[in-house]
Amino acid sequence: MLALDIPWGVMAIILPLAGAMSCFLWPRCALPLGLVTALAIVICVAGLGWQLLEQGAQRYAVGGWGAPLGIDLYADGLTLLMLMMTAVVGLGISIYSCGYFNQDRARHFWPLWMFLWAALNALFLSADIFNLYVTLELLGLAAVALVALAGGADALTGAMRYLLVSLLGSLCYLLGVALLYHSFGSVDIATLAERVESSPAVWAAMGLMITGLLLKTALFPLHFWLPSAHASAPAPVSALLSALVVKASFYILLRLWLEIFPFAGAALAQLLGLLGAAAVLWGGLQALRQTRLKMLIAYSTVAQLGYLFLAFPLASITGWTGALYVLLSHAAAKTAMFMAAGNILYFGGHDRIVDLDRVVQHLPLTITAFALAGISIMGLPPSGGFIAKWLLLEAAIRSGQWWWGIALILGGLLSAAWVFKVVGYAFTRSEVPHEARAVPAAMEWTALLMAVVAILLGLFVPWLLALMEIGLPFGGEGSAG
Amino acid sequence: MNWSAALPLFVLASSLLPGLVIFFLPEERVATRSSLNLAGAVLKLVLAGVMVWGIFHGSHFETRLPLLPGLDLLLRADSLSMLFVVLSSILWLVTTVYAIGYLEGSPNRSRFFGFFSLCVTATVGVALAGNLITFLLFYELLTLATYPLIVHRGTEVARRAGRTYLIYTVAGGTLLLIGTVWLYTLAGTLEFTPRGFLSTLDGASSTALVIIFVLLIAGLGVKAALIPLHGWLPQAMVAPAPVSALLHAVAVVKAGAFGIVRVVYDVYGIQFSATLGVTLPLAIVAAATIIYGSMRALFQDDLKRRLAFSTISQVAYIVLGIAIVGPIAAVGGLVHLVHQGVMKITLFFCAGNLAETLGIHKISEMNGVGRRMPWTMAAFTIAAFGMIGAPPLAGFISKWYLGLGALDAGQGWVIFILAGSSLLNAGYFLPILYAAWFKTPADAWPAERAFGRRETAWALLAPPLVTAFLTLAVGLLASAPFSPLQWARFITTLEYAE
Amino acid sequence: MNTVLSASLLILTPLLPLLLAFPALRSRLPRPCYIALLPALILLALPQGASIDLPWLLLGSGLGIDGGVGRWLLAISVLLWMVAAHLLHPAKGESADDRVTSYYLLTLAGNLGAVLATDLVGFFTFSTLMGYGFYTLLVAGEDDGSRRAARTYLIVLIVADLMLFEAVLIAAATAGNLHFEAVRLVMGQSASPGLYLLMVLVGFALKAGVWPLHFWLLPLFRTTRPAVALLLGGIPIAVALLGFVRWLPLGEISLPALGLIIQGMGVAAMLYAILAGVRQAQLKILPAYIAIFATGVFTAAMGAGLSNPAAWNRYADFAYLLIASLGLGVALLVVGIGWLRARSYPPALPEKQAGDSALWFEHWLGAAARWAAQMGVETLPRLRAVWLVKAGALWQCYAWQRALDSGERFLQRWACAVTLFLLLGILVVFI
Repeated sequence: MLALDIPWGVMAIILPLAGAMSCFLWPRCALPLGLVTALAIVICVAGLGWQLLEQGAQRYAVGGWGAPLGIDLYADGLTLLMLMMTAVVGLGISIYSCGYFNQDRARHFWPLWMFLWAALNALFLSADIFNLYVTLELLGLAAVALVALAGGADALTGAMRYLLVSLLGSLCYLLGVALLYHSFGSVDIATLAERVESSPAVWAAMGLMITGLLLKTALFPLHFWLPSAHASAPAPVSALLSALVVKASFYILLRLWLEIFPFAGAALAQLLGLLGAAAVLWGGLQALRQTRLKMLIAYSTVAQLGYLFLAFPLASITGWTGALYVLLSHAAAKTAMFMAAGNILYFGGHDRIVDLDRVVQHLPLTITAFALAGISIMGLPPSGGFIAKWLLLEAAIRSGQWWWGIALILGGLLSAAWVFKVVGYAFTRSEVPHEARAVPAAMEWTALLMAVVAILLGLFVPWLLALMEIGLPFGGEGSAG
Repeated sequence: MNWSAALPLFVLASSLLPGLVIFFLPEERVATRSSLNLAGAVLKLVLAGVMVWGIFHGSHFETRLPLLPGLDLLLRADSLSMLFVVLSSILWLVTTVYAIGYLEGSPNRSRFFGFFSLCVTATVGVALAGNLITFLLFYELLTLATYPLIVHRGTEVARRAGRTYLIYTVAGGTLLLIGTVWLYTLAGTLEFTPRGFLSTLDGASSTALVIIFVLLIAGLGVKAALIPLHGWLPQAMVAPAPVSALLHAVAVVKAGAFGIVRVVYDVYGIQFSATLGVTLPLAIVAAATIIYGSMRALFQDDLKRRLAFSTISQVAYIVLGIAIVGPIAAVGGLVHLVHQGVMKITLFFCAGNLAETLGIHKISEMNGVGRRMPWTMAAFTIAAFGMIGAPPLAGFISKWYLGLGALDAGQGWVIFILAGSSLLNAGYFLPILYAAWFKTPADAWPAERAFGRRETAWALLAPPLVTAFLTLAVGLLASAPFSPLQWARFITTLEYAE
Repeated sequence: MNTVLSASLLILTPLLPLLLAFPALRSRLPRPCYIALLPALILLALPQGASIDLPWLLLGSGLGIDGGVGRWLLAISVLLWMVAAHLLHPAKGESADDRVTSYYLLTLAGNLGAVLATDLVGFFTFSTLMGYGFYTLLVAGEDDGSRRAARTYLIVLIVADLMLFEAVLIAAATAGNLHFEAVRLVMGQSASPGLYLLMVLVGFALKAGVWPLHFWLLPLFRTTRPAVALLLGGIPIAVALLGFVRWLPLGEISLPALGLIIQGMGVAAMLYAILAGVRQAQLKILPAYIAIFATGVFTAAMGAGLSNPAAWNRYADFAYLLIASLGLGVALLVVGIGWLRARSYPPALPEKQAGDSALWFEHWLGAAARWAAQMGVETLPRLRAVWLVKAGALWQCYAWQRALDSGERFLQRWACAVTLFLLLGILVVFI
């Protein structure tokens, strides 16, 4: 079969790069070029999925050079899911952006966005820790530029802070990479996994890398940069930052934890879990306190990122699957939410929560999208969020560490509180009419579709779990039940 | 997928699809919306009838879709679920007619009817759920679909009521979720099995099982409005009358009660529950709820509020019937699931008619209303006597079996609860009837609307008359084949068979 | 052919009045009150007894009439109803109150059904219908005093019905079959019939106004108009006495002690009725004392029957005759007195009531309810409200808000952030 021989994974990196270049070169046609590229990437990822299903985990040696010297790409189920998530969310964001940006902004947006997409895909496919560093750095730079795209003092401050954090995080990570390379003479993950053993240098490397990645993942208490950056960016950028960019550093952490640092003790796992639980509660409380919609959503991201870390102390396949499911459903739901917030901002010119009633009644699709996404975020069935909560809770009870379940439940209740606080405004009658700008249908529908994806994630679980088991990224018996 | 596997899905789709379409209909397309609604309702009734006929002739209807590894989304029509499905289908049809009449000319009707259909879909899903996770799924869906209906009016009061409703139900749903997950880790399955799947489980400590039982019942008790979890129900009566009717008779409250039946019968198994010693506390809670609800109802002047407290009291009968461990009481509890629905929906329809036609919301305004609206008040009277338990109406049959079952199971104290409740019921219903029929009317009604020769619009009048007739019929013809009583007996023989 | 006819007549006897009670169904008919009595009249004209089983009705019910005493009861009832119909509908052509006709027909259906019922549930059902129907007759369009009396009657009715309901339950739990004969047999042999007997005795004694539970009877006779008062003896009281005969295992069970007590009460009732009746100046209440006297006679006889079953079996038919004649006698008295009064006095003005129209037990109930409200009923919601308010206040509490805000501001500062970052790194390394 010819189609099976195409290195779809490599294509998934090259295509967005090419797209970025062409958007940069022909800014007038940036929009159609970007859309075509987005579609092509989706096809590429679908092709990769098919390839993986047929042939199992894939390893590409780019340019024909093997592992120790050349650049290796590796794709297993975990990679595939991350790529699929990026593709779906990316497609949604691309469509949404058609309506959102005016001609001037679009000229800057599309090349940066395609570049960021390329960095993301490359990151998920990388098989060595140095490559991971490079892609992480590229990703950070593209993201900072996108945040700054909104213009204005807020956005620039947020972007600046984000830039510094990003650099600091990457630097730490780079130091860790250097230490590991020094100790074991390789940066290839598979090779390292074979050679690594516990030593002070490794521990130091581990500390540096984990800390750097935590900073970039914005785990409590290192989340200080996230709300301002995410809230001040333009809506599609907020969406992709929350949905994709923070997940990239978590992905690296997960890979390292599973492959290179399996000897990391239970104490460290408990510490991560504790921070995760604290993030869930702190983020939830802060979200409740917010008066602006986008800030609220940003704080909810802090809370949701906390869920991801609850899987570390549980350390079972069910737990990892649950965390991964949080990641996927949060990506779709948070995209929908930021898009909805973007619509509201576009329509009414503000996102003050107390004045929402004037807006949302004219945007039924948008508020529906927000509500559906909210269902997933708070973990009510039927939604991806529910499945995630179920799996994590099951893992918590099975491992006898029920206290993580409490954090999970409380987090869900806090989310429910703020979701309904917002949705409730859809039903009150407001006296004051609002002068408004019409929202393009594409923006409303994209938000709704992304929310529907978050809901559908709860109904097609077995397929996704089957995909995830390709190459057994979490080891074990291969069954998540 | 063959015919019998698809039927439960069709039953769900018959209200889901019209609901989704209705959301996107423009406000002014009344005819399309109404006909869609009615077509869905009739179709659901027909499909439910087909399923009942099939089950009676030994067919099995089961839809199984994979949800999680080891856990399926299971829709299964067994005799218990059909009791609830048929009840919801019939009452949905009636309520749809009523709602079309009631909301004529009011804003946001597409939204209303969309969520209305979703609400019924969730209820039928709750009924058809074949395992606990499917149940949980539709149970939460019901919470979500009902919230917009409660806050539909958009007033500050409605918003507060909606908030209270959410606080209670979301917390309840969470408890249910914890219980379900825990149970799954212990048992490895969640599929409803006649006489339960836990009794054969060894190695699980009974303490854990008792805690899980408490969690599940607390989660379900929120919707069933057992004390002290009932606080949302009286507030939720700010919703429009058709919603209150559906809420109190079929959808939310009944879903909770039905869930308790499921947990006690098909998860724990009645004998095993009795062995665990959880049935007596449950019975005591139910008895306390019965008395407490009636006591509170006595002091309400707002008609719908009084009815709401009456619901709290009446729904606990179902739980009581289950918690008295015995086949006869179980028949009483199950049949009350149907009977209470039929009676209470009549009462709420009538209350809605009074509010809509004459602007009457308080009992103190009801003097002499029987002369102005004789048909409505006749329906109200029949339903109220049914609630009191006067023979030969529906409530009598329920109380009869509950009392008989209590004697049969050697729990004589229940008799006194029933007697006290009847006394209190009489105490809060008879003054209403007295005022309506025998007191002289005030000079003018609070806000009267003219309907020509009839006392009110036909769409408002026909539904309560139909349900009042049902109240009479299910009591009078209780021993006829296919009556709710016979069906409840059929279910009970399955649970209590060897 | 004959059985079909009699069966349909049996069903129609209570059903026709029920149907005609709907105003829409009788709007074209002349004199619906008489038409409603037609099936019963034809039934009386049939020479032999008849019965029909209705297993689909209620919990399995039936209707029947025997050739002997039952027929007499029915006949007396029909007669009374016809007189009442005549009194309620003056022939002069003035239109009668339409609602009263409905109430009349409802009560009529209940009464005829109760006489014809062959099992406990059927009897209970019809007598409940009759009771509430009679209440509506009492209360319709009357003055304050009679409404007050009627309210007492209603409460008596509810309490009595509750007791009888429990009695039926006990019977069902013991006997399984609820036909009168079966219940009598089984309860006669039952090891512990005490509760059942007590419930039946007290329940029907309340309904019949047997001394000392007659308190509701006197005000009723005092206040109601003759058309309704003449029914009092023949309808509620007679049916209640019939209930004694049908429900108690008389002739099957021998309870000398209980029988003696009941006999004593019957004698006391007779004495009371004579003494109080003689001292009573108001002619209108006289029928009440006659009724109390008659129920006293009946109670004494019943007591004798309980202590000596054989005697009861011999003289049981007299009990039916007593019941029948009681109704007739009271009715005759009422009509006679009414006629006398109409001739000798101008129509009496409604009596002035003492200012407060609430009844003594309503005061008592109200007090109890208020007490309960204070003690328990209000506590729970108040507690919950307090709790919610506290929770809300806690959330709104300044200290909390400040802690959250300052915590977040603290975390947002670079210096702190970097310190935390380093600390975390060190922690991770050394864990």
